[in-house]
Amino acid sequence: MLKFLKAVLLTGAVAAIASPAFAADPAAGEKVFKKCRACHAVGEGAKHKVGPELNDVIGRQAGTAEGFKYSKAMIGAGEEGMVWDDEALAAYLAAPKKVVPKTKMAFAGLKKDADIENVIAYLKTFSEGAAAEEAAEAPAEETEVAEAPAADEPAAAAVAHQPDHEGAFGLGRKATGDEVAAWDVNVMPDGSGLPEGSGDVLTGEELFAENCASCHGDFAEGVGNWPKLAGGMDTLAHEDPLKTVGSYWPYLSTTWDYVNRSMPFGNAQIFEPDEVYAIVAYILYSNDLVDEEFVLSNETFLDVEMPNADGFIVDDRAETEYPVFTADNACMTDCKDSVEITMRARVLDVTPEAGNE
Amino acid sequence: MSTKKKDTQEKMVASRRRFLQAGIAGGATLATAAIARAEGDPLITEIQDWARYTGEGVDATPYGMPIKYEADVVRRNVEWLTADTISSINFTPIHALDGTITPQGCAFERHHSGAIELRKEDYRLMINGLVDTPLVFTYDDLVRFPRENHVYFCECAANSGMEWAGAQLNGAQFTHGMIHNMEYSGVPLRTLLEEAGIAAAGDLKDKWVYVEGADASSNGRSIPMEKALDDCLVAFKANGEALRMEHGYPVRLVVPGWEGNLWVKWLRRIEVVDAAVESREETSKYTDTLADGTSRKWTWEMDAKSVVTSPSPQSPITHGQGPLVITGLAWTGRGHITGVDVSLDGGKNWQEARLAAPGVDKALTRFYLDINWDGSEMFLQSRARDNTGYVQPTKDQLREVRGYNSIYHNNGIQTWWVRPNGEAENVEVS
Repeated sequence: MLKFLKAVLLTGAVAAIASPAFAADPAAGEKVFKKCRACHAVGEGAKHKVGPELNDVIGRQAGTAEGFKYSKAMIGAGEEGMVWDDEALAAYLAAPKKVVPKTKMAFAGLKKDADIENVIAYLKTFSEGAAAEEAAEAPAEETEVAEAPAADEPAAAAVAHQPDHEGAFGLGRKATGDEVAAWDVNVMPDGSGLPEGSGDVLTGEELFAENCASCHGDFAEGVGNWPKLAGGMDTLAHEDPLKTVGSYWPYLSTTWDYVNRSMPFGNAQIFEPDEVYAIVAYILYSNDLVDEEFVLSNETFLDVEMPNADGFIVDDRAETEYPVFTADNACMTDCKDSVEITMRARVLDVTPEAGNE
Repeated sequence: MSTKKKDTQEKMVASRRRFLQAGIAGGATLATAAIARAEGDPLITEIQDWARYTGEGVDATPYGMPIKYEADVVRRNVEWLTADTISSINFTPIHALDGTITPQGCAFERHHSGAIELRKEDYRLMINGLVDTPLVFTYDDLVRFPRENHVYFCECAANSGMEWAGAQLNGAQFTHGMIHNMEYSGVPLRTLLEEAGIAAAGDLKDKWVYVEGADASSNGRSIPMEKALDDCLVAFKANGEALRMEHGYPVRLVVPGWEGNLWVKWLRRIEVVDAAVESREETSKYTDTLADGTSRKWTWEMDAKSVVTSPSPQSPITHGQGPLVITGLAWTGRGHITGVDVSLDGGKNWQEARLAAPGVDKALTRFYLDINWDGSEMFLQSRARDNTGYVQPTKDQLREVRGYNSIYHNNGIQTWWVRPNGEAENVEVS
């Protein structure tokens, strides 16, 4: 039997190499399966008929479907290690009596390789373990191909396409709840997405001094070109407005979210929720928006009033600019009396030196 | 190459240099030219090294770089703009390029937390939120969806931002170089959203997608569902080859015609949401403060804009009077360019430039004006028009509406003051 299995495996491997570009098609396999339906059922509620029902047949030891009365030959094959994987099934469906000489299955075999692969692909759609098995098998097949001297062709035999969702292409897979929880951490302006937790100004001050002050200054006033987080109240209409969390940012959720996901710069996402609450509380304090007793939490979050919350309008260029910037206002000749230079870049002299070869 | 052969080559080069130096020492440039003409150009009359000796074999550079003589055609940074190059921007050398496609290697970079190395094998894209089935795609999954190719420009909202208050930086690269134009291959965002199913989102009118990158900056932006379903592309190739690391390898979002910050690099997550997230990059940044202190938000579209790329401060006229090619780029995020006017006199008079090809939707258009320069001073300007009827405004027209406090979305007309000696300077004129 072992010798026999080796032969099957080899046949399988050769078949895989011989038809590298072939993609098994479960839909085509369903049509092929019409030949099998007289004896086999598959799908929801399938029961044994003349032959065993075929749900979850992929990856199963031969002769082991519960409640079906197999030939001794089939049970024996299974006990010797025969498992219904691609290779075994392909060989069996091509010539059942050659593979298991005394099998009860009267079917002569499928002649076309494509029919065999398609019907296997179809059966896989009813087999839970098939996907995992495919994954486990892949490296072995790659090895075989790598060893084959003439093989500069693609590796594995066409793998059945078994979507786990209803999308038109059936590509990708369902995200797990833990995966979504790991990445979906953004916080909305109404506070949704905030984790439970709290932090006070003084704790925040310590954390800020340790993690943030090297760039943002001890009092969030900013160092060098790094962002100033505090100050600038009522400067937005000035010639040189100072835009900080206090003077400009409309939503506190933005601050929480950014500290949580993107800070500290160069070592992001190290803070626990309580620490984020504390740091944000300290930034608010630095902007004189809360007193030093303040504790920021998911519950007090919406109590904080951001000074510039109403300072934004939605893009209004369609009303204020587009009707003006048109051909009607674009002169072609004699458009002005004189042209005088009003400003020169060279006078300012802030351009980097010319290219360094 | 044998040492002897190399020595001979060097001697020959040296001897030719001596000849040329003698020529220059012998008199003015004109005189040199006359001698050269009289005796013939040694580049023609003498056998040159490259005509005698062999060059480099194939595979000398398995991935080719520009020849060393083009070493100055590179991205440049303006150090004083930002605190650190890790969160900074540099500029495409548009003054030295022609055509419309930007080579990836000199296309501007903008990082918020540095360019990261993310292998295709480690790449995951999640679609979640108000979808029927939250999904995860690998890179291999993405390349199995039907693919499209499109050329689009990507312009940073801050392009020309330093020029709001007046002429500052002396070069088209610095004033207008936060732009590139590439041919992208990718999967429509719509296809991916439909794969996850958006029936769960209900009425799509007031829905958004929040797109987020995998780097430490977690750059995330909210995009209205209408745009997401229209022409956004989840791209993995640019100009035929894999995206460069600095442009989001292996996968970035392409949001045609809209400000570059929305083109999230290393795209890792797309969440369907029922309101804008109001992230840092769409509140504290990329908003436009008006004279009265209120600020515009959600100013996504890039309005029609153009610039003369040559002559310009980094690309002066070196040939004297006579035939001169004036060239530049025009683009609009709201459709395509229908025409470009060029003025030689600071906007007194305009003439229509020649478009190298008809305007392409949300892509760069190259224009030319071929003139016979008389050597007199010029105030070069260009003015783009698009298919919506929009005409690129002057800086003063923009300031009239927005005041002086804006940074982003400066699409005002640029002026180069070209002197009789061919040098050009960034100026503003009345």
